[in-house]
Amino acid sequence: MTRVEVKPGDGILVTRNLTKIYGERVALEKVSVAIEKGKTTVIIGQSGCGKTVFMKHLIALERPTEGEVFFKGQRIDQLHNHELAEVRTSFGFCFQMGALFDSLTVYENIIFPIQQHREIKDFKVLGELVKLKLALVGMDGYQHQYPASLSGGQKKRVSLARAIALNPEVVLYDEPTTGLDPITSDVINELIIKLQRELKITSVVVTHDMKSAYKIADRIIMLHRGKIAADGDADYIRNHPSEVVRQFIEGRIGEADLAALRLGGTKFPTQFQPEDFSGT
Amino acid sequence: MVTLAVWRKFKQQVEHLGRFSRFSGSAFGAMGSSIAHPKTYPLVWTQMNIIGVKSVPVIMATGAFVGMILAVQAYSQLAAMGLEERLGVLINIAVVKELGPVLAAVMLAGRVGGALTAELGTMNVTEQIAAVESMGTDPIKYLVSPRVLACLLLTPVLIVYADLLGILGGYFVSVIQFKINSGAYWDYSAMGVELWDVGTGIFKGFFFGGAIALISCYKGFTCREGAQGVGEACTEAFVGCFISILALNYVFAVILDAIYKTFWPLRPLL
Repeated sequence: MTRVEVKPGDGILVTRNLTKIYGERVALEKVSVAIEKGKTTVIIGQSGCGKTVFMKHLIALERPTEGEVFFKGQRIDQLHNHELAEVRTSFGFCFQMGALFDSLTVYENIIFPIQQHREIKDFKVLGELVKLKLALVGMDGYQHQYPASLSGGQKKRVSLARAIALNPEVVLYDEPTTGLDPITSDVINELIIKLQRELKITSVVVTHDMKSAYKIADRIIMLHRGKIAADGDADYIRNHPSEVVRQFIEGRIGEADLAALRLGGTKFPTQFQPEDFSGT
Repeated sequence: MVTLAVWRKFKQQVEHLGRFSRFSGSAFGAMGSSIAHPKTYPLVWTQMNIIGVKSVPVIMATGAFVGMILAVQAYSQLAAMGLEERLGVLINIAVVKELGPVLAAVMLAGRVGGALTAELGTMNVTEQIAAVESMGTDPIKYLVSPRVLACLLLTPVLIVYADLLGILGGYFVSVIQFKINSGAYWDYSAMGVELWDVGTGIFKGFFFGGAIALISCYKGFTCREGAQGVGEACTEAFVGCFISILALNYVFAVILDAIYKTFWPLRPLL
């Protein structure tokens, strides 16, 4: 696959030769991507292929072993934490399990970033702001509930409301539909599309839910073993010639893996009977 | 092979120590910034309430029992020599100098240290700490510095409570149970216990408090994933706090003794 060298100004978020090595395991290997402003970019790939690691690098929650990360042309991977604080206010991060502060109410969760970075002291204004953000995700009225009393889908929606509390330019979603039923998943998909259209937010979504990816993506990037295996729009990915990509999008096990499973023995532990162990 | 394993283990421990030192450095830096910004005071008040105010009953009970037990254990020994009226000086010096501060700190390590590690550990494994960071807030400043500050400031106060109840516990057992003359009990105590003894006991509290908070928060921040990870971190935090309290106590015993002997070389002979 021929690679075009990306430049810091090619997109709102740019990674150049991003490499991350944990001990002896290579999680990312020379990943160069330019993420376009105002578009939804979906990162797909098998579990453990480096999707979440890649996304955490975009907000410098992880530091690369090699390579560079740029946000609006500014290199951010080498910034000190206190310099990053300002950069991070331009981002919203929706964590896989919501990561809501369980000792705080929904209201307190949403005003957290506002109180940290804005000088709004009027509780009436704060209340209106929270109401507005919650209304955007269809959760107005839940202000005084604690995260423990919310369902998985509701937690993700509140997490999304918190992520957009500071009107960010970029929202990063880590597996937003994982663990949700198909209808709630579709609600989340619609919310991602709505936020991108109405608030002109740049979205980066990490997922392995292909239905969701096809629905929300302007561009899909597939990572395989820490490298880019495919990069294009939904149609390009749907008709991709590579076997690795086809297997993933069709949810099909590879011949090599299947052969390994067949060779793995005919009797599984659950098939053993007590008498199998009593002869000796 | 064994040498290699020992070397690896040693290297791992040095790395841990390095990480802990960096963590402590960041926490102290953040604490300085917290003191300078009144915006963070509510966080410190909240932690002071959780760490300090709610620990008062258990610390007072610990102190009272220490004094009472010392009275029961020492009475027969001193009575055999006809020195029972000197029970006060023995109890009170032991309480204010060593047992009050150390046992109050150990109690605090169990009650507060475990809770801090479990709370921060759970926040860590559920990505809540990463969420704080992703929103442009320094998690050390927001989560660690208020806890360290609260522990640092309130451990000496809690030691005063432990001392007070230890003194009263010892007094009541001595005077009411063993019928020692109250006046003589206090007179001998006043002769033997100096302001220096009380002061050094309280002074050590700052360091015990700091060690408890820093070790517990560090273990919470670095705990492994899963319920087992959080459980292990809590155990390691308590063991770490306990050993540190004893080690710090030994270091202070040596240093403070040397200081005392330098300034008042003849007093121990009187």
